[in-house]
Amino acid sequence: MTQGDANGVVVTRNVWKIFGERADEAIGAVRRDNLSKAEGLERFQAVVGVKDVSISVGEGEIFCIMGLSGSGKSTLVRHVNRLIEPTSGEILINGVNVGDLDAEELRAMRADKIGMVFQSMALLPHRTVRDNVAFSLELRNVDPFTRANVADRVIGLVSLQGYGDRMPDELSGGMQQRVGLARALAADPDILLMGEPFSALDPLIRRGLQDEFLELSKTMKKTTLFITHDLDEAIRMGTRIAIMKDGEIVQTGTPEDIVTNPADEYVADFVAGISKLKLIYAHTVMQPIERYERDGTRLPPLHECPQATPDDDLDALVGLAVNQRNPVVIMSDGTPVGVVTKDALLRGIQGEV
Amino acid sequence: MADETDVRKPFVEFAGPNGSYYADTFLKIKKNTLGRYHINLAAMVGGFIWAAMRGNWLLFVIAFAVDLVTLVNLGLVYKYSKAAVDNADKAFLVERFEGWSQTHLISAIVVLVVGRLVFAWLADRMYAIQFERWRINRSVNSGRIVSRLLIAALVVVLVLPMMLYRTTQFSPEERGCIRQDRAIAQGEQVPFKSRFDCYFIGEFPTLFWIQRPDEVSYPRDESGERYVKRTPPSANAPPVNLNTYTSQAIDDSIGYVTVFYGFLFDGVTQLLRGMLTAITSVFVGTPWPLMMCALLYLSYKMAGARTTIFVAASLIYLAMFGFWKTAMDTMSLVVAASIICVVVGLPLGIWVGKSNRGRVIVTPILDVMQTIPSFVYLLPAIAFFSIGKPPGILATVIFAMPPMVRLTALGIQHVPDNTKEAALAFGANPRQLLTKVELPLALPSIMAGINQVVMMSLSMVVIAALIGAGGMGYVVTEALENTETGRGVLAGIGIALLAMMIDRVVQKASKARRR
Repeated sequence: MTQGDANGVVVTRNVWKIFGERADEAIGAVRRDNLSKAEGLERFQAVVGVKDVSISVGEGEIFCIMGLSGSGKSTLVRHVNRLIEPTSGEILINGVNVGDLDAEELRAMRADKIGMVFQSMALLPHRTVRDNVAFSLELRNVDPFTRANVADRVIGLVSLQGYGDRMPDELSGGMQQRVGLARALAADPDILLMGEPFSALDPLIRRGLQDEFLELSKTMKKTTLFITHDLDEAIRMGTRIAIMKDGEIVQTGTPEDIVTNPADEYVADFVAGISKLKLIYAHTVMQPIERYERDGTRLPPLHECPQATPDDDLDALVGLAVNQRNPVVIMSDGTPVGVVTKDALLRGIQGEV
Repeated sequence: MADETDVRKPFVEFAGPNGSYYADTFLKIKKNTLGRYHINLAAMVGGFIWAAMRGNWLLFVIAFAVDLVTLVNLGLVYKYSKAAVDNADKAFLVERFEGWSQTHLISAIVVLVVGRLVFAWLADRMYAIQFERWRINRSVNSGRIVSRLLIAALVVVLVLPMMLYRTTQFSPEERGCIRQDRAIAQGEQVPFKSRFDCYFIGEFPTLFWIQRPDEVSYPRDESGERYVKRTPPSANAPPVNLNTYTSQAIDDSIGYVTVFYGFLFDGVTQLLRGMLTAITSVFVGTPWPLMMCALLYLSYKMAGARTTIFVAASLIYLAMFGFWKTAMDTMSLVVAASIICVVVGLPLGIWVGKSNRGRVIVTPILDVMQTIPSFVYLLPAIAFFSIGKPPGILATVIFAMPPMVRLTALGIQHVPDNTKEAALAFGANPRQLLTKVELPLALPSIMAGINQVVMMSLSMVVIAALIGAGGMGYVVTEALENTETGRGVLAGIGIALLAMMIDRVVQKASKARRR
């Protein structure tokens, strides 16, 4: 498991969360005997929410935490702004230990540094969209004029111009979640916590919002913790992905890492159904020319072969390979560095490289 | 389709003896082909004995009740025939007793016949339900077991003799029993029968007598200070029972508190009176044309044109029948009581909604407050605050407060957790959470609470007229005392109109807010 860079914007160090009145006893036992979830429940009436998690999220990174319901991903992310207190371990934000803040400092940090988006949107139904977006500013006693200005600007960012005076229940689910996003962005926080933000939306709208969010984060460079139960989404959004199971992180890595090198059966099962077309690149599936020619076959003249670069993905290679008898030659700086045969291409699509 | 015998097997296993009959019947019940008038003959003849052996104790109770009522009626026939013979010299008594005895004879026959028929009709249907329970849980009674008759016999032996004895005897007079009690206490001999009658078939007997407590009074000494003076009861004063003793103690404590801490109650009374004076000066002090216009304008603004037409009609009724001032009096009382209810009830409701301890402390008190009949609130109000409008308002406040507290708490508790979490995640402090999230989201519930408070205040204010709160209720009480039905009816209609008026306006207003 990669620990990542210890100087990240959001760092968790050996965070444990055990729910139940006898959490302290339980944590010792779980550490010592490596109790399973069921055993912990039976012996201590305690539920292990998060089990020894250490992650580090770098600046501007979109760090996806993927897991099924009950895997502890939402619990973990609520530790970051201390909506939940860890049983042990510490959480650092820009090097500051969140556990050491007093109530007022904590509120200031939540309001200024961290924006959060919820699966349930959790908008205030009695306030207009504008007042919802400006909520965090209002909590910090910003004057109404500035509030309205900032809110209108952010509403524009999520393309909801003209909806400022509407009430949330007049908006569709997708638009409501945009309001949720705008609310999180209003205070211009360094960190975004996205708690399954798009899970409740239907697939087309989800897709659209994912793209928009990617566009936004390219320009805004916010450090993002993105929770999802959908591996496709994690792969689309994430710079890096951490896969959680029963409160533990089973694998952390880039999307390609995870797809090509699943750490265990559990991850492999997940990855099995994923389309690799946009995840695997030519440099992974190509073989050196010498090995290709070792079997006695000769590479046809270069100008008769389709050509690609090492950073082209499988999707592009497939496009080049159709209607061609010759293999695809991978060129780097004008010289051929490898060959991708149709066999290798098909294997690559299967994820076996 | 399963084999017929396979299908019947569990039924037979459950019913035991006579299994094939029950298998047939249960199958018909399952197929919905059981005849509408199907009855179980064994059950009709056997009655509670059948039910006991089959182990269905609910059916047993039904059958036993049928037989018991029959027997009781027969017992009454015996009692009244005997009374007719005993009083043969008084023709009118003979006639009366014979009439009664005939009525009870007819009742006995009807109850027995109809009861047994209904029981026999129920028997198979309820026995089938027992079968369903038995299928899930094999410890449910099944089969036909004779030893269950022992339990049945025990019940019969315990119940029947007492019941029959009770019905064949004239019940003893209460005063006679008290006299007899005292006689026994002084060592007189009393026949067993009259002792038994007093103990078991009359009022619950007085188990013990208590020495009469000291007489307490609060006279002034030479310096004008009040002090507690106890006078022991005279030597031959009869002892008292628990009720008299305890009520005397309560009276004494209330007397003590009002004598030595009267200034507290006077303070509260002054406060209430001041508040009421201010409100009354608005409602009654304003000349009626202005007040009427103001009320109509308010109702138009809050509830729209339609309701305003109704309000106008009601106001005209009140004015035409000469209830204007009294109605405005009542309105001031309602407004005063409602304001206090909201001012006290809202924070209390928030506390109950947010804190576990608050809920544990306040909920039982509210339960008691809502169970006590409204009349009872008048007693402490009089005891501590004497009569008049202020104690009337207090009784009203106590009566009308619970819904405010409850509905506020309900509203606060129903604010979705994730909305609160979101507010916290954006850095809300507890006060901001309350004022910007919880209270606004609880507002519909709070408005419903206010509506309830106003309606309950009105009903209590009318009752409070009994302790001199005045207003519309006074007209009704006066009408009751002088049996002036017509006046009472007119005032009653006036009160109803007042209530509907307030209810419509407040309800429409809170609905409009929600939208």
